[in-house]
Amino acid sequence: MIQHFPVMAVMLLFLGAFLVAIFGRISPVIRDGIAILIATISLVLIYALIKPVMIDGQIISYWMGNWEPVEGYAIGIGYEVDALGLFFALLVVTTFWLSGIYSLGYLKKDANKMHYYTLYLMLSASVLGLVLTGDLFNMFIMIEIMTFASVALTAFRNKQAIALEAAFKYLVLGSIGSSMTLAGVALMYRVCHTLNMAQISSIIGGEFNLTTIMAFGLIVAGLGVKSYIVPFHTPAADAYTAAPTSISMIFSGMVNKAGVYGIIRMVYVVFRAMDRSSIQILLVVFGAVTMFIGVTMALAQHDFKRLLAFHSISQIGYVITAIGLGTALGLNAGLFHAMNHTLFKGLLFLTAGAVLTATGTTNLDKLGGLSKRMPVTTVCFLVGAFSISGLPPFNGFASKWMVYQAIYTKAVESGNILFAIATITALIVSVMTLASFIKVTQAVFFGQENPENANAKEVPVIMQIPMVIMAVLCVLTGLFYNVVEKFLLAPAAGAALGVSNYIDKMMGAGYAKAAGITDIEAAPAAFSFWNPLVWLLLFVVVFLGVYIVMATSKSTRGRMLEGGEGYDPKYATFFSGEQEEFSQVGGSDLFWGFKTDWKGYYKVLQGLHSGIVTDYASYIVMGAAIIILVMFICLR
Amino acid sequence: MIIVNYIASVFLIVLGLYTVCTKKNLIKIVLGLGITDYGINLLIVSIGFNPGGTAPVYYLADLLNGVAPNFFVDPVPQALTLTSIVIGACVDAMALALVIMINRKYKSVDADEIRRLNG
Amino acid sequence: MFNVLNIVLLLVFVLIFPGALFTSAVGLWLAGVDRKVLARMQHRIGPPIRQPLYDFLKLMGKETIIPHAANKTVYLGAPIVGFVSLAMIMLFIPVGGFVAVSGSADLVVILYLITIPGVALIVGGSSSGSPYAGIGISREMVTMMAYELPFVLVLLAVARKVGGANLVFSMESIAAWQAANGSLLFHWSMIPAAIAMLLVIPAEVGTQPFDVAEAETEICEGPLVEYSGAPLGLFKLNTAMKMFVMTGLFTALFMGGLRTGIVVLDVVIFVVICTVLTILSMTTIHAVTARLKIEHLFKFYWTFVAGMALLSLVLVWFGL
Repeated sequence: MIQHFPVMAVMLLFLGAFLVAIFGRISPVIRDGIAILIATISLVLIYALIKPVMIDGQIISYWMGNWEPVEGYAIGIGYEVDALGLFFALLVVTTFWLSGIYSLGYLKKDANKMHYYTLYLMLSASVLGLVLTGDLFNMFIMIEIMTFASVALTAFRNKQAIALEAAFKYLVLGSIGSSMTLAGVALMYRVCHTLNMAQISSIIGGEFNLTTIMAFGLIVAGLGVKSYIVPFHTPAADAYTAAPTSISMIFSGMVNKAGVYGIIRMVYVVFRAMDRSSIQILLVVFGAVTMFIGVTMALAQHDFKRLLAFHSISQIGYVITAIGLGTALGLNAGLFHAMNHTLFKGLLFLTAGAVLTATGTTNLDKLGGLSKRMPVTTVCFLVGAFSISGLPPFNGFASKWMVYQAIYTKAVESGNILFAIATITALIVSVMTLASFIKVTQAVFFGQENPENANAKEVPVIMQIPMVIMAVLCVLTGLFYNVVEKFLLAPAAGAALGVSNYIDKMMGAGYAKAAGITDIEAAPAAFSFWNPLVWLLLFVVVFLGVYIVMATSKSTRGRMLEGGEGYDPKYATFFSGEQEEFSQVGGSDLFWGFKTDWKGYYKVLQGLHSGIVTDYASYIVMGAAIIILVMFICLR
Repeated sequence: MIIVNYIASVFLIVLGLYTVCTKKNLIKIVLGLGITDYGINLLIVSIGFNPGGTAPVYYLADLLNGVAPNFFVDPVPQALTLTSIVIGACVDAMALALVIMINRKYKSVDADEIRRLNG
Repeated sequence: MFNVLNIVLLLVFVLIFPGALFTSAVGLWLAGVDRKVLARMQHRIGPPIRQPLYDFLKLMGKETIIPHAANKTVYLGAPIVGFVSLAMIMLFIPVGGFVAVSGSADLVVILYLITIPGVALIVGGSSSGSPYAGIGISREMVTMMAYELPFVLVLLAVARKVGGANLVFSMESIAAWQAANGSLLFHWSMIPAAIAMLLVIPAEVGTQPFDVAEAETEICEGPLVEYSGAPLGLFKLNTAMKMFVMTGLFTALFMGGLRTGIVVLDVVIFVVICTVLTILSMTTIHAVTARLKIEHLFKFYWTFVAGMALLSLVLVWFGL
């Protein structure tokens, strides 16, 4: 019974897409009902797999149409769910389910909601299929469906010119990526005469010849385009900005995670190249560059969603750096950060959507002082912002800590100064992340209230629910870090390193041994750890103590005075004796002192992000060329 | 000669990418994507090709007894090619649809003018 | 973990020693010494050393005005968040021979906890809704970015010097290493890092010439412009506590080996070292310089100070 769950989850979503398209016209209730119902069933089916896969350590396989391997060759399409695939599947289902709930409120004013839900289910199905499949070509198909659905959803608000522009760029650049993947897949078929990932892994056995190097380079570059590492990141920044916010959340929560999953699957399981230091250095360098460029570009943005988009890119840099270390601790850290990124970035996008709903703009220079009108959104935003900046005790802190420890341990062990530079970059990027969220905090939620937004009000409850769920998850995963590590990260990292089980389950017991496959030997992920729960408890107790003492003491320690209705100069903001007026320090002006020192850097970098699609295409081609070239030099 | 196919496919892929990277007209960019696709399709078909091979329509018994010729064209790449062609057609259709809508909004199909999202 | 006794013990640590009470007491002492010595350097008599305590107590008794534009909860909560986190950081720093919590003390935790008071100041200032505060928080944040790079480099240099395969960032192993091999300050390759760290202290605390965020003459105390009464007093106390936390961190990182074995004596020595460091890194620099501009501050930290720290890191990296 249980082995049908993964494929059912994927197929139901595809079915749901068609059902919405057919029956959605009847009434809005049926349309929304089908979409949410199907998404919920899919969610339940995937969550039901936690016990057998994560805890009991099973691997679930399923052959489409029962086309099992004949005489040792896997011709049929197989689904294979190990802990690594399931880990990402959990992220995927959580993201699209919450996004679905949020869309119910968010899309109030949009037309063509039927198309939205059709594409939404299509996108969800394709990403879920991508992380669960065990077949290389099937993976490519899912990537293509994912790209299509993403492009169409980016252009969903096609009254806006930027939506069309972003969609076109996404389509062109995404197609180049898919084409590279397809070429790589074709070359792999030439070498192995099979498309099953488990069998390919055992046939090539971690050794490379010219064809497989080319294929490896093409596939990694193609998946790099899907996970938006620099220099492939340009479509992400545009698409996240222009898409409806519920879709931006899906993009950052699962679409680029799908690319990350693909990279992990390829380098660890299929090509088994992670014991080579050249590949480690390649990934770490790409990751470090990605996080730095992402965050510096984010500091220069003056649109809420575009800023978040660049942060998405930057955080993926952390993930790629961590998984590029090739150690168990690094994998744990990378997976944990990927998961946390899904949570806090999804949350931040949802708050951006709430601000957009309430005020009609995401321009940081036109907002301000919303915290009094939108308290729930503000609290959720602050949780997300502190999480992404890595302040204790939120989840970003736990995963970033692991990342630092993983990189620096690696640096000390290998003595390679590149890893030390990567550690420094990671730590500096973290404070820059904090800086740019301080900017958003000041420009959107605090600061002076913009008179234009005087009638903004808190978003409906249906939109608050997903935000609150995600905020709570952000805190919980930070506090109960050990539980996450034990039940999700350790099995997933173990699955990535223990290849022979993956092969044996698919091809029959003993197959891996016969092919001479051995698992990567990795020391268990050991690292020092604090107990955030105790600290949080202490913090809350002391905080409340001091707060109550301060707030209740009236007689001896001074009174608390608050202005009532009407104007009273005593409670007005200080303006050197002048009348109070609106003079918000806008988002664009906030880090003048920083930007003036970096003038030259920003001139070059903003010039490179020219917005011209042909430039972006040439970055992708160049990036792919670099990856392939490095692989040819190092792997031969 | 099979080697000609490989050379031609690489030529097509490079030509397509070159078109995408240098031409400023959006329609030409879409054409470039198409050319890349055809190059890859040619590559896949060539991979499955066997000189002198026939269509793979046999009984399993014929194959095992050696009655049938034991070389035939590999059917899997052909299936892949078909899928890829379909996807390529979809890409082109969608891209062209977007170009039409972009033209309505921006009054231009020049990539240099369609850059409101930058920096 | 969830032992009631443990929690009570931790609460005592946080509230009394080496947490809130001890840290504020020493912090106010350091602030007083700073003012007194500065005055003497400028040939003034200066206030009594108790003056910061009087200032604090007086502010606690004043009216607290909450401006119209402010978000009340955040406005009042921010100083307390800063205060509590400062009290908690002291638990991670070995005070003399006294280690409040063993096992979980870690450089990365300290690095991040130290940013929380800064963030509290920023968020509090931002919530007051004043444009002066807006400029102030921008400067505060840029200052933070400026000193973060040298700070990180110093911490990495220390971690590399002390080594250890798995517990690279452990505060405990740093103390143990220094007890065995002598203080890090006496290893010549660490001297540039120590100088860099000495320069990081005034920026983190926000004393002249690095007080651009609060520049009274230009932006009316920046983030604090709207604050009055008890919250303002708490922010002033936070600054004093930061003095102790930062000098204490320096002492633990670079002079951790000085032990007599008697805890009380060790703590006294610790405080004395912190006082000397305060005079060295804050008072002296304050007395001989004028306030920097924010872009100069940033450049100074990312070139000169970071360069010093980097020099140490490179030296240490090649085993010197």
